[in-house]
Amino acid sequence: MNGLPRRLKTLPKPLLHCAGALALILGGLAQPASAQGEHYKVFLDLSYSGNVWQTAAANGVKALAGTPPYDKTVEFKTVISGTDVQHQISDLQSMIAAGANAILFYPVSGTGLNRVIEQGCKHNVLMFAYDSTVTAPCAYNVSSLSGRYGANSAQWMVNEMGGKGEMVINHGVAGTALTDLMDRQALGVFKRYPGIKIVGDFYGNWNDATSQENVAKVIAAHPNIDAIWTVDGTYGSLQAVQQHRPDRLVVIAGQSNNGYRLDIGDAALQAKGLKGLSASFGPADGPYAFKVMMEVLTGQLKLTAHNVEYPLPWVPYKEIKLCSGLAFENGCNTFPESKVPALFIDTALNGDLLPELNLTAVQNGTAMSGATIKPLPAVTYADDLPGVNCTDCKPPADWLEPNRVKPIPVPN
Amino acid sequence: MAKRDAPTLSESKPARLRAHAARANPELLPVAVVLACAALLIIATKILNPGSSLTQQLSAVLVTSIFLVVASFGQGLTILLGGIDLSIGVVAGLSAMMISVLTNGQNASLPWAVPATLAFCAAIGMINGLGIALAKVPPFIMTLASGITFFGVGLGFTSGLAQRPVAPALQALMSGHWLGVPIPIYLIAGFVVIAAIFQNGTAEGRQLYAIGSGPRAASVLGLPISGLTILAYALSGLCAGVSGLLLAGYSSAATLDIGDPLLLPTIAAVVIGGARVVGGKGIYLGTFAGAIFLSALETVITVLSLSQGLRNIIEGVIIVGALLLQSERWGALRRWSN
Amino acid sequence: MSLATRLRPARGAAIAVLIYLVMYLVYAISEASATSVFAITNLLDNTIVLAIAAAGLTLVVLTGEFDLSGIGVIAIANVVVATTSVGILGWFGALVAVVLIGAAVGLINGWLVVGLGLQSLAVTIGTMIACEGVALVILAAPGGEVSDTVANGLTGDIADVVPVAAVIIVGVLMLWFVFARTRLGIAIYAVGSDENAAGLSGLNVRRTKLLTFVLAGAAYGCAGYLLSAQTGSGDPRASNTFLLFMYAAVAIGGTSLAGGRGGVFGSVVGAGILTVMQKMLFALGAASFYTSVFSGIIMLVALFVGNLSVLRLRRRRRGGAEWQSATPRP
Repeated sequence: MNGLPRRLKTLPKPLLHCAGALALILGGLAQPASAQGEHYKVFLDLSYSGNVWQTAAANGVKALAGTPPYDKTVEFKTVISGTDVQHQISDLQSMIAAGANAILFYPVSGTGLNRVIEQGCKHNVLMFAYDSTVTAPCAYNVSSLSGRYGANSAQWMVNEMGGKGEMVINHGVAGTALTDLMDRQALGVFKRYPGIKIVGDFYGNWNDATSQENVAKVIAAHPNIDAIWTVDGTYGSLQAVQQHRPDRLVVIAGQSNNGYRLDIGDAALQAKGLKGLSASFGPADGPYAFKVMMEVLTGQLKLTAHNVEYPLPWVPYKEIKLCSGLAFENGCNTFPESKVPALFIDTALNGDLLPELNLTAVQNGTAMSGATIKPLPAVTYADDLPGVNCTDCKPPADWLEPNRVKPIPVPN
Repeated sequence: MAKRDAPTLSESKPARLRAHAARANPELLPVAVVLACAALLIIATKILNPGSSLTQQLSAVLVTSIFLVVASFGQGLTILLGGIDLSIGVVAGLSAMMISVLTNGQNASLPWAVPATLAFCAAIGMINGLGIALAKVPPFIMTLASGITFFGVGLGFTSGLAQRPVAPALQALMSGHWLGVPIPIYLIAGFVVIAAIFQNGTAEGRQLYAIGSGPRAASVLGLPISGLTILAYALSGLCAGVSGLLLAGYSSAATLDIGDPLLLPTIAAVVIGGARVVGGKGIYLGTFAGAIFLSALETVITVLSLSQGLRNIIEGVIIVGALLLQSERWGALRRWSN
Repeated sequence: MSLATRLRPARGAAIAVLIYLVMYLVYAISEASATSVFAITNLLDNTIVLAIAAAGLTLVVLTGEFDLSGIGVIAIANVVVATTSVGILGWFGALVAVVLIGAAVGLINGWLVVGLGLQSLAVTIGTMIACEGVALVILAAPGGEVSDTVANGLTGDIADVVPVAAVIIVGVLMLWFVFARTRLGIAIYAVGSDENAAGLSGLNVRRTKLLTFVLAGAAYGCAGYLLSAQTGSGDPRASNTFLLFMYAAVAIGGTSLAGGRGGVFGSVVGAGILTVMQKMLFALGAASFYTSVFSGIIMLVALFVGNLSVLRLRRRRRGGAEWQSATPRP
């Protein structure tokens, strides 16, 4: 075992080479940072990535950041933090340290980021969360919570089912505040109707393939299900029914994937019993939050509350209308099969609130040519829901009740 | 070090077959135990839901297990070498995305798009193998890092969603029936036969066992260790790729994260099937049984309607229980054979 | 134990320290505020959970076993602290509770692996899933509250200069240097290097392994406690990414995943490397998917550099057959 010291001497050599090479490669990426005068340093921090919803939301934000005048006044950067809360904390801290003026983020945890959010607020950084909410009092949440998707979609289904039948619940991701809230709202409605029997439920993780596998298994065990309630993974859930029981379809509520909208609008499928609702949370919430945040940052908008509402998309099967072009015009809300992939989420676009975005913009994350940022109409504020988007606050008295759909009487 | 002819590999054929049979037989017992557990789970679902049909359930469990059955073959090969492949989920996702982009919803492009996609996936596996065999990076880190890297590359190219539909023929493959039986079940049957023959019936398969159970001895015997390691990881990439193709066909649309839920179950399927994590032991039929077991377990848990917390607890306990049952059989067998 | 085996772990860790310093240097050069107390405290806070968890995992890995239950235990510890540290247990009671819970899970793992002869990889996948379930049963959605004593006490600075996290890390390292010289510490290396030889020379292999699982569990409990301090709340979901990073920290720190070689010091530095890498990539302006691409490549480079020296060492000592470094022990 002699000769050890010699080996130790030879050690740093390759290491230094590597370190030098690394510094060279990475050094090339460094960009000078400047945020003077009319310039703003804005970050988008994603948590999950690689799925349809997140991609559409992020692309919408990127496209807006590249739209005049923001293409000149905003120094914009996207960071992907992944699903680990520590990672997102670290990235948010880096952004604060880098002198961010505003940070738009998709929170991986509703409560776990509160301390870093407070750090940001202390450094005068605007902290905006979209879709998923945080409870930190100084953060702004832009979400569709007041739309009460859980209660309204459940009531819509009950009405379509005539108050009775066997159903399957496709929960979202276990352990998230959103899934918890939607479940409470939906189950509260379903429980009111003794004729509704929940025969199977699973956590589809907002994932179409997972949802499809699970629905396939439930159908094998319960061949007579009448309905499926989902928050996301809706298209996959419906596909499983179409594969295993093509002649008898279901009442279903959920996301707004284009393939799903095409199916529920199809008269032939409707004749087989398909009654669908395309609602749930739309990715356009992300770019909308960006516009709100930028108006606050540039002083055009003063918010009087921290919870901003993005209108909940709501398209029942009877209102499906096919578009001819690349935008939602003249009340159309669905693209033909040839224009977009089946999983494309139509609610990534919003002609009224986000006229700056078209199909290409949200698919590629590039600004629509010729578009400029239009001012927003007056914002509406969302309900305060303790533990969801605030800590010490009072929810409205009827926060678990449907407010869009009229309940039918309980059948005898 | 003087190289000699490899004695075990130059034995006469009957002797080799006998040795082979002796090795395979005791390993068939845990396979039977795990399959019996799976059968019990399916029967339990039937008892819980008297209205259901047993064949329907069996078919649902089998069809939804195909992704795991295929991907865990590759995982099994790397574990046989004492390694592991953590890039499986990412590779499956990349494969699903690539086939959608290449075919653009046209069956006509399938004849070249499928080989191209699979070659790409095998190439990622080969990169893993090269890093492990030549640069001596531990498999855990090599495959973890390549998974992270290629996920980033995939995200850069596609931003997460294939903007093109999957070719209809792939969709038909996953949803069609032949003689009243879903086509995926035929695919599983074919795959299991091929995989089992490769792992337990070919020279390469046996050499993998030799390397896994004694890398130093294998090296002394002059086995092409580096080549075989690269082959095993390339096959793992290939299987993950096939799994991704099937996933894309099944859900008729591809996302980059479509394969993520596969990773942990592939490892679980291999070890539940009786493989030894440090290498050198385990047969593909065991892995297959493990995959079917996990699929059946998920069915029961879905039908039970419990909170996710309780589901997880039950799932964890059942996995450990399956291991326990298996180990006792092993103990009994060992006592009996001594 | 020969001089060489004693020196080898220090060597792997030395390379890790060098890599860390290089990365920190790049980070400090490209980000002016990197050397402020605020930035350093943040960096150490980000490191410490991974560092403690990886430290615990190292003990199990050194004996040649796997342990995936870490993220499950951390999730339980997090929700327990969030539900009990304000109220029934108080900050100290909660600490004792999570350490005991971790140790109990470790005991179950150890018993299943050592007592019943099950494979550690499979067993700990099972206990990990079950632990995640327990965390979800305790707290169905993010919430709860962590006592200010914990939240502020563990993430602040002593006299505005010394980050508490630094003190904890130094404490852990000192503990390790003492522990590595105890009978148990030496036994862990002996069992990991050659289980049969260790058994023949009179070491109690089963007891050693059982204890490493228990100690690792307790460390995960502590890591969960520290995580709670940083998040100030409870979240029942466990992150698989974190589990992979625990293993990456151990490997980059120079510990062989086959057992017998390495140590806690290296793993702590490995955790530091993974954290500073994120900061460095951010400071350099690598955004979006590039971060992920570079993370993977840097991990490989770090390991490759580490391996290169070990390889040279082996090649000189043995001639050709250095296969072993790439595969776990036969």
